[in-house]
Amino acid sequence: MRIEESFTVSVPIASAWEAIRNPEIVAPCIPGCESIEVVDPTHYKAAVRLGLGPIKLRFLVEVEITEEEAPIRLVSTTKGEEGGRASRVRSQNVLSLTALGDRETEIAYSAEVEVTGRIAKFGFGMMKKKAETLGREFAEAFRKRVENGQDAA
Amino acid sequence: MMEPGAEVAFHRPRTVQEALALLSADDGAVCLAGGATLVAMMNADLIAPSGLVSLSGIDVLRTAERLPDGAVRIGAMRHHRQTADETLLEDGQQVVREAARQIANTPVRNMGTIGGSIAFFDPAADYPPALVAADAIVDISGPNGDRAIAAAAFFVDWYETALGAGEMVTGVRLPAAPMGSVGVYHKLARVSGDFATASVALVLAMENHTVSHLAVAVGACAPTPVRRPDIEAEIIGNGLDDAKVDRLADALAERLDPVDDVRASAAYRRLVAPRMVKHALCRAAETLGGRQ
Amino acid sequence: MTGHPLTLKVNGQERALSVSATRTLLETLREDLALTGAKRGCNQGVCGACTVLVDGQPVRGCLSLTANCDGAEVTTVEGLADGNVLSTVQQAMADTGAVQCGFCTSGMLISAFAFLRDNSAPTVDDIQHALSGNLCRCSGYRKIVDSILLAAKRVA
Repeated sequence: MRIEESFTVSVPIASAWEAIRNPEIVAPCIPGCESIEVVDPTHYKAAVRLGLGPIKLRFLVEVEITEEEAPIRLVSTTKGEEGGRASRVRSQNVLSLTALGDRETEIAYSAEVEVTGRIAKFGFGMMKKKAETLGREFAEAFRKRVENGQDAA
Repeated sequence: MMEPGAEVAFHRPRTVQEALALLSADDGAVCLAGGATLVAMMNADLIAPSGLVSLSGIDVLRTAERLPDGAVRIGAMRHHRQTADETLLEDGQQVVREAARQIANTPVRNMGTIGGSIAFFDPAADYPPALVAADAIVDISGPNGDRAIAAAAFFVDWYETALGAGEMVTGVRLPAAPMGSVGVYHKLARVSGDFATASVALVLAMENHTVSHLAVAVGACAPTPVRRPDIEAEIIGNGLDDAKVDRLADALAERLDPVDDVRASAAYRRLVAPRMVKHALCRAAETLGGRQ
Repeated sequence: MTGHPLTLKVNGQERALSVSATRTLLETLREDLALTGAKRGCNQGVCGACTVLVDGQPVRGCLSLTANCDGAEVTTVEGLADGNVLSTVQQAMADTGAVQCGFCTSGMLISAFAFLRDNSAPTVDDIQHALSGNLCRCSGYRKIVDSILLAAKRVA
């Protein structure tokens, strides 16, 4: 399934880029993210908890940044495994930044997400809605973080 | 969360209070009603509760009765088969009976319960729009006592209800429907017994050629049943002509938020739901003989 | 493993059991009581191959937890015949040739048995509706429905 969303942050594009490339800033904005480990500047590992109705899931996620063109484009792949319980998430993500003004940046993301295993077996049609909700929660958290922290950065 | 190899506890309390105490004592414990969904999810390895609190031994949950105010109370542990044959349901209340009749198939109707069904809340299930159209009240018991909530407020989001930690549904109450009213539940499904692709539940009453009561809910097309009481209020007191039927159908369509899934695309649901509303309303009006 | 003790009356016979909380009735019947008539098809309650009677009502064996069935009367396909004499619905199904691979058959028989007990002059529509919870991948259902019509006539 394809998830697409865009949001604006009231900071210059350079600051937005710095923030998005900083796992210390990004990780706490991901709903359910418990921990993040920087393996190297283009590899991260994270543990993410999420709930789908009564089902509680915990994914161990690896993110690899495959392409970057500062400050406008970031391409990454995400692989998530449920650690033995046989659900898998794979996604190809493209993040584009556009300067709308001196202090305004539009961040657009699109993700091609594939889910397999026990969680897909149940056929929840609302998975896409859930993914969209998570995307919006991330956007909101990231925006707040970046806009409030910009003077300190 | 349970450790692998730890045994799952099994309890069969005799009272609601006992059940609540067991749920409070173990936050990994869940209620076992009919088991039609819970055990299926356990079999599919989607959930692993640490304890099961069976409700089948609690007599007060298994009854149905008419209350002094004319409402009908259906206990949470009533099976769909029982609700499908419930003679206590009269007039427009029969929307709930019609919904129960179309749930799954015979063996599942023998096992599944109204309490278990609404507590899980699959938005494509049959009770939710019927209960919303019937203005049903959901009775809940929990560690902080008993409370009641309108069905429309009970269903919150995909697979999410207003139940708090340690709370359980004890029953639903259907207020008396206007005398002579009709309850209709239409379900579009790929095959007999499937969850709804789209559904319409409505209660309609007419006096002479004037609408005296109207409640229409669309199911399976949004995170919760969709209803437009504001538009219903505009129609009540007037006749039911094509223009009004279209207005309500369009108003409901505006609020739909369907998904693409294996049963249908969101686009298809948006297309078919308003047509189902019109069809169901016209059929109900014809039944009442009040069509203009 | 400590289990939950219970008794079931299975095909007329009292059985004392001790099971884990998550053991399904289907597992108990097939693995502990060697009653392999009921089949595990989907284990999700959709296919109907596990259908058995509990206190006279057709239910899904795969979705019933044995620990929750204490004191219940269970009838499986093995309990339909009277010694060597097949029940009416079994004989009708055999006579009609309504069995191909046989995997759906025990569930079909249980559902049909319960249905005919409560319905004496069913139409094809009635039968299809009543057995909508039993899937067959081989036969196209025609002969199964015919066999139930035949059984209904024979009972009358």
